[in-house]
Amino acid sequence: MSFLQPLLLWGLPLIALPVIIHLIHLHRRRTVKWAAMMFLLAAQRMNKGFSRLRQLLILAFRVLALLALIFVISRPLSGGWLGLTGGAPDTVMILVDRSASMEQQNVTTGVSKRAAGLRNLAKAIKDTVGSRSRLVLLDSAHLKPLLLERVEALVDLPQAEATDTTADIPAMLQGALDYITRNKTGRTDVWLLSDMQAGDWDASGGRWEALRGAFISLQGVRFRLLCYPQTAKDNLGVTVERAVRRETADKAELLLDIRVVRQGDPSPQPVEVPLRVVMNGASSVLKVVMNENQLLLQAQAVPVDKATKRGWGRIELPADSSAADNASHFVFDDPAVLRSVIVSDEETVAEPLIAALSAAADTARKYTATVLAVSRAAEIPWDDVALIVWQAPLPKPDDVIAKQMQNHVAAGRSIIFLPTEARDDAQMFGLHWGDWKRGGEKPKNVDRWRNDAGLLANTRDGASLPVGELEVLRYCEINGEGIPLARVGANQPLLVRSTFERGGGAYFFGTLPDSSASSLARDGVVMFAMLHRALNDGARGLGQAQMRYCAQGMLDDESAKWRPVSAMKDAVVPSVTALALRAGVVEAGEKLVALNRPPSEDQPQVLTSTTLDGLFKGIDYERVEDTLESNRSLTSEVWRTFLIAMALFIVGEALLCMPQRREAASVTTA
Amino acid sequence: MTQRDFLDPAVLSRLLALPLHARQAMIGNISGKHRSPVRGSSLEFAQYRKYVPGDDTRRLDWRMWGRSDRFYIKEFEADTNLRLCLLIDASGSMGYGEESATRLDYARQLGGTLAYLAAQQGDAAGFWSVGETKMEIPTRRGASHLKLVLDQIAQMKPAGKTTLIESIHEGAEKISQRALVILISDLFVPPAELKPALQHLRFRKHDVVVFHLLDQRELDFDFDRPARFVDLEGGEPMLADPSLIGKQYREAVRIYLAELDEVVHTTGVDYHRIKLQEKYDDVLARFLLGRTPKKGGR
Repeated sequence: MSFLQPLLLWGLPLIALPVIIHLIHLHRRRTVKWAAMMFLLAAQRMNKGFSRLRQLLILAFRVLALLALIFVISRPLSGGWLGLTGGAPDTVMILVDRSASMEQQNVTTGVSKRAAGLRNLAKAIKDTVGSRSRLVLLDSAHLKPLLLERVEALVDLPQAEATDTTADIPAMLQGALDYITRNKTGRTDVWLLSDMQAGDWDASGGRWEALRGAFISLQGVRFRLLCYPQTAKDNLGVTVERAVRRETADKAELLLDIRVVRQGDPSPQPVEVPLRVVMNGASSVLKVVMNENQLLLQAQAVPVDKATKRGWGRIELPADSSAADNASHFVFDDPAVLRSVIVSDEETVAEPLIAALSAAADTARKYTATVLAVSRAAEIPWDDVALIVWQAPLPKPDDVIAKQMQNHVAAGRSIIFLPTEARDDAQMFGLHWGDWKRGGEKPKNVDRWRNDAGLLANTRDGASLPVGELEVLRYCEINGEGIPLARVGANQPLLVRSTFERGGGAYFFGTLPDSSASSLARDGVVMFAMLHRALNDGARGLGQAQMRYCAQGMLDDESAKWRPVSAMKDAVVPSVTALALRAGVVEAGEKLVALNRPPSEDQPQVLTSTTLDGLFKGIDYERVEDTLESNRSLTSEVWRTFLIAMALFIVGEALLCMPQRREAASVTTA
Repeated sequence: MTQRDFLDPAVLSRLLALPLHARQAMIGNISGKHRSPVRGSSLEFAQYRKYVPGDDTRRLDWRMWGRSDRFYIKEFEADTNLRLCLLIDASGSMGYGEESATRLDYARQLGGTLAYLAAQQGDAAGFWSVGETKMEIPTRRGASHLKLVLDQIAQMKPAGKTTLIESIHEGAEKISQRALVILISDLFVPPAELKPALQHLRFRKHDVVVFHLLDQRELDFDFDRPARFVDLEGGEPMLADPSLIGKQYREAVRIYLAELDEVVHTTGVDYHRIKLQEKYDDVLARFLLGRTPKKGGR
């Protein structure tokens, strides 16, 4: 418990006054010389239990009344999870989840989860710690520690403002861990503000174990989680997944793939949703009817002027409790060629791959696939290729080609590594190959795979890919740090996405498509979907018009000066860093980039308490849940409670001190 | 109270008119006013008895021989003196009360006056003090002996724990002849222990009188504030809140008095419960009048 007037707590020894007065009274009490002690003793024996208890209760009530009085004048703060801090820590680290989902707001007050949490945190820290601790802010968008001079500034800081990014909670904790170990922060309270969105926490990721172990080994670090896990009611979210311009002889039109998602309604009723289409500054309304919780409008045609070859726009939904998902931006231009390169010396591997990558999944676009021998890997056209399938020994870390691969992925392109027959000890993107394993007499099936995201996710209409039907005769072990997307046999990863590099995707696939290794080529569907998804993801970074997800560094790959398309010519333009964090359309020269929130921000699943307990097992942590509707502060003055308690103690003492009713008649003598 | 102050001449002169009687026959060694279990030579006829050889022929009732032709001996009551044994409690608890008006002072007034009255009617008086310092004056007649008894009564001081039970047993053994035993005490002992002691006295054919001295405050426990009660008999002091234990105290007194009534009823002693606020001469007058033989009886 904390106090606004802690100095008055020095008066606590005064609670001993009743005891001292009692002892003095014992010695100063009137003395009566008495003969009939036998009656007194008998009476005492009859009354012993209650008499002693009564005396103790009176004394206890007096002590408690004084204690309550001292608490009242010391102005206590109810702490809840902040309570009993045992004094101010040396350092307070504030970790703020600035993801798009944190912008869910109370429709009445317009206060978002982020704003409410920041306000509560600022007040709580001011009340309990004041300026006695070093304050460090670490936000999910920048992941850079920032020293705060005043906690009041927390609510107004640009580093705590809303973004349309996603949050990487393990990365934030890693940042906090690095700061603590590097700066030797002493006793540290780490306060984490989050909406507990499962995607942000990545509870199944491999980083948690190392983080947990590191924090357990640290002395004096405590975690306080301020959570806003409530999900939005009747929230609609819109995403433009694709925008392609098509021109025929008589007209030109823009084909939009639009996904509308409804949350928080277990038994949905049909509802008409007005979609406002804003394109090149002009708007129109498209009314659609949602019968289920999800509506996918594929190739929704929006007429455009024939002369308009490129442009930008957005789809808007009416305002609701989550403003961040009410708009989705798009840009269009002549689409880039979907170019892929297969580096392999094995024809049996390359043939099915090139067949799949050359086949057009989207007839409106051009596909090109090239096979290069390993010795000709230097000929890869790095600037134009969206996907590289690498079935060759991994390059050494200081090789030029290794650097080129890293740049390729950092620019948002894709690369898939396939194992070679020879043992390969090199490492790339934090992953490396192990030994080949045979499946045994019977081929193994893929037991588990992630169908919510990644290359093996369900199709747009929710149908599952036939990954379970894949037969794997032999596979190569994949070691290192990454996110397993599919597992085979005894929990062995078959497809792993590296977490080592941000931007595009770097995947390790543990088997080969030829018939000696798997049924991948024979069944075809899984391989086709997997390759084309990687190709499409990689192609996002190609062409003059690109659709990207908001994240720090998303606009750093260009030396050009980025500015919002809607900004006036002389307007002050935000920094590139700030632009990359908010949804919108930006331009730099011929480049047009639509920035949107990442799809993971539309996933309403929140982390359960059990999972959270598992993640923080062994770490000193407390969790408090708050809601947007709650007006309560994390700390509040509770002197009234103590005043009432004091009054009750005084009344109790008075009742116990009240003399008993005397009997009317005394003992008569014969 | 100075020596002999406990004797008030006015009270003595008023009470001299009331003789001190025993309720049962006494065995004295001289002639007196009190009935004796043996036949004697008083003027009061007792009974006829058949003559047996050896009887003094001078005591034959010739008139009876003339009427019935049988020899009868005419017997008369013997009058003897009374032996008054005073057992006065001098334990610490007898010091209760205002200065010069303690329970022991009250006991002195009762005991001294009774000794004086007994001596004035020619009876013997003795004295046993019950307490830390034991005093023992055997029963004798005479003015000089009375002086000795009164001196000893005057010198009594309340001190120590009570030895009432032991002293009663001791007295019962030591008082060899039938006597009027008057016990003056606060009787702050368990009634269950007092009963065999009184029975012991009664077994020795003594006429036992008990003056039970109590103060009204001891009965009512009428205190308004918590106090530290110091045991007059040297026990541990006790802190008590009368408002808290008053009810239990009065209940304990009630139980004690009920048990005491049962004891005195069973043992047949002449029990007088006296509050110190009563005048002692009234108490004595009531006691003496209660002992006056009814008309036609002795």
